[in-house]
Amino acid sequence: MNVSADVSLRRSASSMAVCPVLSVQPTRALVDEKFQIVVRNLHPKQEVTVHSLHHSEDKDYWEAFGHYISDENGTVTVMEDASRGGTYTGTEPMGLLWSLRPIPGSRHGLRMRKKNVLSPMVVNISVYKGHMNQGFSEEAALATVVTERWYLAPGVQRVDIREQGVKGTLFIPPGPGLFPAVLDMWGGGGGLVEYRAALLASHGFVALALQYLTPNKERTLDIETGYFEMAYHILQSLPQVSSDRVAVLGLSFGASVTLTLAAYSKTAKPRCCVCISGSHVHPVNKTLFEFFQLMNQSLAKSRIDENNHVIWRDVILPIPTEPDLKVDVGKIKCPLLVVIAQDDQSWATVESTEDMEQIMERSGNRHLLTVLSYPDAGHLIEPPYTPHIRFSNFINQHNREKVIMLWGGQTKPHADAQEDAWEKILLFLQKHLYQDIPPEAKL
Amino acid sequence: MTWTPLYLLECQLRAVGQLRVSLHRKMCNRQAQVRWRSAGRPAPLLTARPTRALVDEPISIEAHHLPSHTPITVRANLTSEDGDLWEALSHYYTDAKGAVNLMRDPSMGGSYVGCEPMGLFWALQPVPGSREGLRLRKRDVETPYAVHLSLLEGHVNPEDTRGKGSEEGQELAKTVVDRWYMAPGVRRIEVRQNGVVGSMFLPPGPGPFPAVLDLWGMGGGLVEYRSALLASHGMASLALAYFGHKDIPGPLNRINVGDSYFRAAFQLLQKHPQVCEERIGVMGLSFGVYLSLWIASQLSVKPRCVVGINGPLGSFNTFSSEDGQQESFEENQRHWSYDEQGYVSFREVSLPSNIPSENYAKVEDMCCPLLYIVGKDDLSCASLENADEIEKRLHAAGKSHLFTRLSYPGAGHLIEPPYAPNARVSLWTTRPAKLFPPEHIRT
Repeated sequence: MNVSADVSLRRSASSMAVCPVLSVQPTRALVDEKFQIVVRNLHPKQEVTVHSLHHSEDKDYWEAFGHYISDENGTVTVMEDASRGGTYTGTEPMGLLWSLRPIPGSRHGLRMRKKNVLSPMVVNISVYKGHMNQGFSEEAALATVVTERWYLAPGVQRVDIREQGVKGTLFIPPGPGLFPAVLDMWGGGGGLVEYRAALLASHGFVALALQYLTPNKERTLDIETGYFEMAYHILQSLPQVSSDRVAVLGLSFGASVTLTLAAYSKTAKPRCCVCISGSHVHPVNKTLFEFFQLMNQSLAKSRIDENNHVIWRDVILPIPTEPDLKVDVGKIKCPLLVVIAQDDQSWATVESTEDMEQIMERSGNRHLLTVLSYPDAGHLIEPPYTPHIRFSNFINQHNREKVIMLWGGQTKPHADAQEDAWEKILLFLQKHLYQDIPPEAKL
Repeated sequence: MTWTPLYLLECQLRAVGQLRVSLHRKMCNRQAQVRWRSAGRPAPLLTARPTRALVDEPISIEAHHLPSHTPITVRANLTSEDGDLWEALSHYYTDAKGAVNLMRDPSMGGSYVGCEPMGLFWALQPVPGSREGLRLRKRDVETPYAVHLSLLEGHVNPEDTRGKGSEEGQELAKTVVDRWYMAPGVRRIEVRQNGVVGSMFLPPGPGPFPAVLDLWGMGGGLVEYRSALLASHGMASLALAYFGHKDIPGPLNRINVGDSYFRAAFQLLQKHPQVCEERIGVMGLSFGVYLSLWIASQLSVKPRCVVGINGPLGSFNTFSSEDGQQESFEENQRHWSYDEQGYVSFREVSLPSNIPSENYAKVEDMCCPLLYIVGKDDLSCASLENADEIEKRLHAAGKSHLFTRLSYPGAGHLIEPPYAPNARVSLWTTRPAKLFPPEHIRT
């Protein structure tokens, strides 16, 4: 990909002209921090395109762009001015990140996920003349700035955990501690996904990213509640961790695990829990393997849309009434934050949450529940400014089948949901893990 | 340190090795002390954003989850490339919510007082017991400074934190920020071409860029960090060596280059394919000001503008034209003056009245704007007098409109990029041992 221009051509074309000044502040940031983009030294009322380009770890190119018109001083201020077209419109300071999409001609069904959190995500921000929609690689940019987006703050330590059969990655903030901690779990896609735990640690929590589904030959025969309890125990027992201030956070299938722990575990007593895009519809007292076998039977209810994308939304519908088919959330004793997307096409989280509310109402613990429900957002509620993924390649962990899964959501509402949800998740964790000091601990 | 009876007792007991200094601190400190290590209570949270910033970008530092109205100290530590430890600390009180915000709250003591969001950076000083005459200058601009920020219990002073045991002002929390001179994508290019010795820094992107020829003073060598920072702001910059550099032929204690050298450097910038040849400025500090004025008035090159910081318009030693070879700088010592501590000041050397007028740069022949920056407490160069003389000469030539002066009361000689620590005295390479350049911290 030829990012730099044919310079000699440029030079002879206009020897008097100097490039506009493009500034991005800060150039190096955490992924949940905003940046400010300003273009100066344009002509007044000049049409320009502000463009972002990212070369992913999987070697795909992602881009986003907005169409702007400079003011009478020849300045474009992205956080104040409205984009009139492109991959986002309106006044969107972070649109160049959350509307990133694979460039034309890319492989199908891509999803952007950082594997190596020790290096940043590098995004090139450029300004082009005119309002362009394609062909950015053939055109010389007027100016370019390189920015770094980090999941890991300086000083945060990354430690591999292979202990008592538990596999995960631990992230420890700098400083003497003691720190509250979060057990961080992803969903049915499996593997060891570190970036959210890294980001949590960058906000002052010891975080353990847990692997419990291996996307290869190993069978998930043994994984049952004991595995998660052991992971919780390992986290809680760390010398840097304040043992009564441990939370569990899970997305999708990980949310079901979270609810199971919170409701039934005799040993794991989280101080609070966060469930993202998850459901309580999950057979009780079954191993993971047994669960996937049951799932396989229910998959007959999955549908295919007009694009051949698989929709799993109906698989758990109707919400069962049998008690052994869903977690008894009435037994939960800690604050619970439930984050759901109203256009979730993968899991019936809206219906599940309604059922959960009723159960908790009857059990008298409804006051522990806070629900964040986002219209037109999809299943994959990720850290803020992560590109919205409406569908992507997915490997069914049990039968190894490769499908394209429909996650749902529309880009702008989904981006808003991610930004709002993350802020509220951090506030929720800080409130229950950092504050909320019992009276006897005060002096 | 006050020699209270308590302190004397502590000294005796320390000789026996029984009393911990922390106990002494707590006894003498009249303010409430808070115990953090009891009952698994989590530590408070110290945050700094952005975590990886350019050295001229301000940072927001906050502390949360402390008790209300409690004294705390925020400390910054930095280990220089030479292994010296630099430190700054400031005393705050938490607000009613148990928070401190350095953007809003005043420091009550320590390395600085008042509301100073970046005080922990510009007030960095070598810790007590360090070698004398240190100056913080980054040689490797491609790596950042890692600054460790800590939250300490109570109001702690620098002498309390050194070598008296680790309990003094217990560290409650910590975070790390990286400070960079180079933005991502900036390219550093070593220049050894046409006899020119320097380092060029190019912004990312196609250009063409305006450029700066960057000149330092008689400290010699090659100082790169200001050029790196300029390139991080969209200007190509050539940091030029002209004195005391091993790659320039001739004795290290003489200036062995003349007109042709500086002309070659300027033209090297002009000819660079990514530099806009009509938009080159010259920036000089100290003796570099004289060179900048000389370049702008007497060589056949045409800079677009000149920035001069605390420098003379003339050289005491004859600066011969084509091939350099002037008297050694320190051979003419009759105008050196000394203060009561034995520090030398070069101020008298640069007084216009001490310099033969035929040795002045002919500023009246300049055709481009000049920004002259004066530190009014400059004890190394007679900046004020030189500014006046330059202004007078330009006025006489009908060119007053070219001259702009910025004057800073209390500022010393070494006006560096912002938030850099000040060095009131620093080591000089020549005899005598110490130089007396700058002045009060917080300038």
